[in-house]
Order: sequence, then C-alpha cells, then structure tokens
Amino acid sequence: MIIGRDLKRIYGKGPVQVLALNCVSLEIKKGEFVGIMGASGSGKSTLLHMLGLLDRPTSGSISIDGIDVGTLNERERTLFRLRRLGYVFQDYALVPELNARENVYLPSMVRGMTPNECTMVCSEILDLVGLKGRSHHLPGEMSGGEQQRVAIARALVNKPTILLADEPCANLDSQNSRIILDLFKKLNGDLRQTIIMVSHEEWHKTYFDRIIYMKDGLVEKK
Amino acid sequence: MFEESKVAFFLAKRSIVRGNKGTLYLTILILGMVFVNLIFLPSIITGVAVLFNQQSIDYSYGNLVIEPSKNQIYINNVSELQKKVEHIPGVTGVSPRYSTGATFTHKGNVVTATLAAINPDDEKTVLKTPSKVITGNFLSSGDTDQVVLGYQLAGNMNEKLDVIPSLGGVSVGQTVDITFSNGVTRPYRIKGIINSGSYSADGSAFITKKEYESVIGINDKANEILVRTEATGNENSMRNTLISFGVQEKIWTWEEKSANFLNQIIGSFNIINLIGTIVSLVIAIVVIFIVIFINTVYRRKQIGILKAIGIDRSIIIKSYIFQALFIFAIGTVVGGIFLLLILQLLAVSPIVFPGGPVAPVVDPMLIVRSIISLLIVSIIAGYVPAWITTKEDILSAIRG
Ligand SMILES: Nc1ncnc2c1ncn2[C@@H]1O[C@H](COP(=O)(O)OP(=O)(O)OP(=O)(O)O)[C@@H](O)[C@H]1O
Ligand SMILES: [Mg+2]
Repeated sequence: MIIGRDLKRIYGKGPVQVLALNCVSLEIKKGEFVGIMGASGSGKSTLLHMLGLLDRPTSGSISIDGIDVGTLNERERTLFRLRRLGYVFQDYALVPELNARENVYLPSMVRGMTPNECTMVCSEILDLVGLKGRSHHLPGEMSGGEQQRVAIARALVNKPTILLADEPCANLDSQNSRIILDLFKKLNGDLRQTIIMVSHEEWHKTYFDRIIYMKDGLVEKK
Repeated sequence: MFEESKVAFFLAKRSIVRGNKGTLYLTILILGMVFVNLIFLPSIITGVAVLFNQQSIDYSYGNLVIEPSKNQIYINNVSELQKKVEHIPGVTGVSPRYSTGATFTHKGNVVTATLAAINPDDEKTVLKTPSKVITGNFLSSGDTDQVVLGYQLAGNMNEKLDVIPSLGGVSVGQTVDITFSNGVTRPYRIKGIINSGSYSADGSAFITKKEYESVIGINDKANEILVRTEATGNENSMRNTLISFGVQEKIWTWEEKSANFLNQIIGSFNIINLIGTIVSLVIAIVVIFIVIFINTVYRRKQIGILKAIGIDRSIIIKSYIFQALFIFAIGTVVGGIFLLLILQLLAVSPIVFPGGPVAPVVDPMLIVRSIISLLIVSIIAGYVPAWITTKEDILSAIRG
C-alpha cells in the first residue's frame, strides 16, 4: 500500500520557481497496476521520483507498506530502493561502463547473489525482454529500444514488490511494447507486484487497473 | 562488509578496464616518478655520507685515534704503546704519527698546510694514503730529505684550477722548503704526489717521523696514534678493549673525530631531503586527487544511477579507493623498475663527487617508509574526491 499525502514539489527559487507537484494525494493498493497519464510537463516523472524515493517532496508525506519513508536517512532509503523498488527511468540511466548483463545483475550482486546465481537470473530476464544475444554489449553499442529493455530487466532483477516505470515503452515498436506490457501484466498477476507506469499511449490503458490523470501538477478528477 | 567490498571491487575493475587508458597510464607514470623521487635523492645523500665516512676512516683517522692525555702535548714511549696495541685482538694496524701545521715555500708560493710525519710501514697498515701515489713514489722508512705532497697542495700551474692555496704546480724532483713550528726551515725533494680523493689527505704533506723528530729534537713520541680494527662499526667496544688492555691515553672513534664536519653536512642534507620528500608527497596527493576527482565528476551521472538502483554511497567511495590503490600498486612497481634501471646505470657510470664516485645507498627502511606514505596519500586522494562527488543528490547527478 502506497499513500501519498499533500505532495508538493517546488523546483528552483524566487521568480524562476516551478510548482511541479501541487498538493497531490493518492493511494495505491498492493498488487494494483496503475497508469499515470497526462500532458508533457504535467508532473508525472516528478511524482514517480517521489514514490521511487529518488527525491524528497518539498512538503507532504509518503508511506509505503506502513513506513513513513520521509523519516528514513539516505542510507536507509538506498537500502529500501534496493530491496523493494524497481525503477525504469525515462532515459534508461544505464551504467555506461557496464555491459547489458552487468547492468542487469549489478543490483542482485549488491544483494549478495553469487556470480552463478547472477548469471542465471540475468540471462532469464534478458530472455524475457527479448535481448538474449545482446548481453555483452555496452549501452553505447545498443539502440534506444534495446537500452530501454536492459533498463527494464535491471528493474525486475531483484523481483521488487513495487515497480515504477517512467514511459518504459517510449522507444519500442508496438510489438516489443506489447511484449513488455504482457510481461508486466504477468508479473502483476503472478507475483502480486504493484506496478506504477507512466504512459502516453492510449492503447496502454487496457492493461491498467486504474489510471491517474495529471494536469499542471495536480491529479485530475475524472 | 565483505559483500560491499566485492561490489566495490567489481565496479573499480570495470572502471579501470573500460575507462580512459591514457589518463590511467599517465597517473601511474607520475606516481612511479614520485616514488623514484622519494627514494633516489635520499639514497644519493646517504651514498655521499657513506663515502665521506669511508674517507674519514681510510685517509684521516683509521677506526680509533689515541691522543695524549690531558695537558700533554705528546704521547710518550710510543713504541712500547704501539707494541701493546698491536697485540690486542681485533687490531690490524697501528700508526703513531705527528700531525702538525707547517709552512711550505716554492718559488714565491707560500702555503700553510697540514704536515703528517709518519712511519711509512706503519701508515700502510692503517690508511690507504700510501697506495694513492699518482706520480713518483711514497716515502720509505729511511727517507730524510724527501716529502710527499697531496695533489691539491702541489697545485696547478694555472692558479684558477686550484681548489685550495697551492704551491703552483710543483712536480716530482723539485724542491720545497718546509718551515716547522720551531722556526727551522729545510729543503725537501718531492718524492711523490698522491691523489686520494679525500680533501684532507690531498691537501697535506708527508715526511717521515724520524725526520720530524730530528728537526724538532724529540724521540719516541707522537701526537696521535691511528688504529685500524678488523671491523668497522664496533669502535665503541674496541675502545673499551683498548682501555682494558691498559691504554691510558684519550681514545676517540673516527666518528667523534669527524663529527662536526659530517653532522653539518648530513644535517643540511636532511633538510633538503625533508623538503624534497614533502614536495613529492604533495605532488602525489594533488595528482591522484585531481585524477580521481576528474574521474568522479566525469562519472557524475553514473554515480547518480548507481545510487538510484540501490548502491550505497560507501560502496561507490570504496570503488574509487580501490582504483586509487590500483594506481598506487602499479605506480610503485613502475617506479621500482625505474629505480632499478637508474641504479644499474649508476653502477656502470657513477656520479663523481669531489670526494670520488658516489654509489646510491638504498636503505630498506626508506623504501618501506616511501611505500607507506604513498599508500596513505593514495587512500586520501581517492577518498576525498569520491566523498565530495557522491554527496550530490541523485536526480541532479543523473541529469548531469
Ligand atoms: N530539475 C528541475 N528544475 C526545474 N524544473 C523542473 C525540474 N524537473 C522538472 N521540472 C519542471 O517540472 C514540471 C514537471 O516535470 P516532469 O518531468 O515531472 O513532467 P512530465 O509529466 O514527466 O513530462 P514528460 O511527459 O515530458 O516527461 C515541468 O514543468 C518541468 O519543466
Ligand atoms: Mg517525464
């Protein structure tokens, strides 16, 4: 269960101040597959950053599974991200010095998996996202869509209870998008993973249990 | 803890393997040069000190010097004392001598210098001076009107080449007038000229002890007795042995005799050394710091990503410390190889100091100390930049 209360995020100071989130409150139940939609600049990524513990709200509070994450220190938040959250960035955010495989298994390595376990889990997941033959390529040697799928694989490798994905299909054709969305749906069904996904595409709506519409930093009532 | 190190090591390895090679090689090279710098200069200075020490022993004092007791000008009954000392175990040579000042005159050149009056056969058992003749011959025990000059005292025709006031380039066969402390002046034929490399010997003159005694009108005396012992380094215990065998005169070690001069030199060298060492270490700190700092700033985005996917700051910092340690380890090896090459080169063509060729003396403690200081420097220079860069918040880092 994720509960956000009166979330505000103000960027900058003085006259250049931007109110990216303007008092957003929301509740997402465990096992829900939620879509976040809205115009560009409406605050979707900003909201996802808050929920993914990558940024702190200017005011307001977030509690995840009963933990007020605002009270955690940096080290605890890092550990929280590692153990419970998977995050797919809008711009992939792969480690350029690591190849596809290493990027994917790094989080499980940090959790103490042996190299063998890492390799196994990793090839399984790369297979799921359709990147079997690419495991030894560096990010710089892959297309946008391929990098995006590596980022998705990395987010999934630790079997997070909550998956946050910021336009994970932005660079994929409809066939590959469908593969990813089907995978998400399956994980959501099988593992009761909570999934929060930002999207622009109308046809994605059919996958979501519920949609949160955003406009100018606010949740639109529909 | 161990898991953390494993991940940090993994990240460091990938950064080194897939990072910029040029910068890496350059940093390693600089660290290697710093290592050479930390070792080389002190080793040369130690080499100089060793050379001077050896010269003090070989050309001025032997290992021990027996001097007259308080308020005495001379040691009396020298031949008896000589015999006694010669029979002490561990003593390999004894040379009673007079070391005084005298005035030397040749064709208008008047020079005051040290005059050593010696028994040539005894002198050979203690000092190496007799074997350093470059022209002519050394004294024989029966010589009376002959003198042997150090080449600095003999001098050069061209005054500008002289290091000390000289007789203006006298050579074997010519005559020098010597005026003794009692005012007597006698002519002496130059029998030989020595070049030992030691300032004191090369600036002195030598006549036989017998001749000196006949000029002054004394017999069986000396104002110093030089003693050579089997081993160098245990002078203090040998002094006690001499005392236990009944030597009542004052006994000095060569170190005590040359203390002022050497301490001064070594004292100033130590200051030079200290400054050199500090400068080297500061250079090392700054260079590694800059390289790691540029590295981390360049990898800002990557550091942000690592933190975002749940890698703790401490792991990231550790990975940069590992990189610094890698640079340190390889740099030290490279520096060590350089150092060996330089030492090899110097063995073939040594640096010639005024006192003679100097071989660098590498103290193992110095190596250990240099390695430890570089290690500490590397850890600091790896830690601080990584600590600074990983402080940034995740999103600003990722946005770049
Ligand atoms: N670091 C920042 N500094 C200043 N303003 C920012 C910053 N990040 C985001 N903003 C502003 O906050 C608002 C919300 O941005 P956000 O990235 O959340 O939009 P979005 O809904 O994800 O848009 P898109 O669909 O284009 O990704 C925008 O007006 C944006 O310009
Ligand atoms: Mg966005």
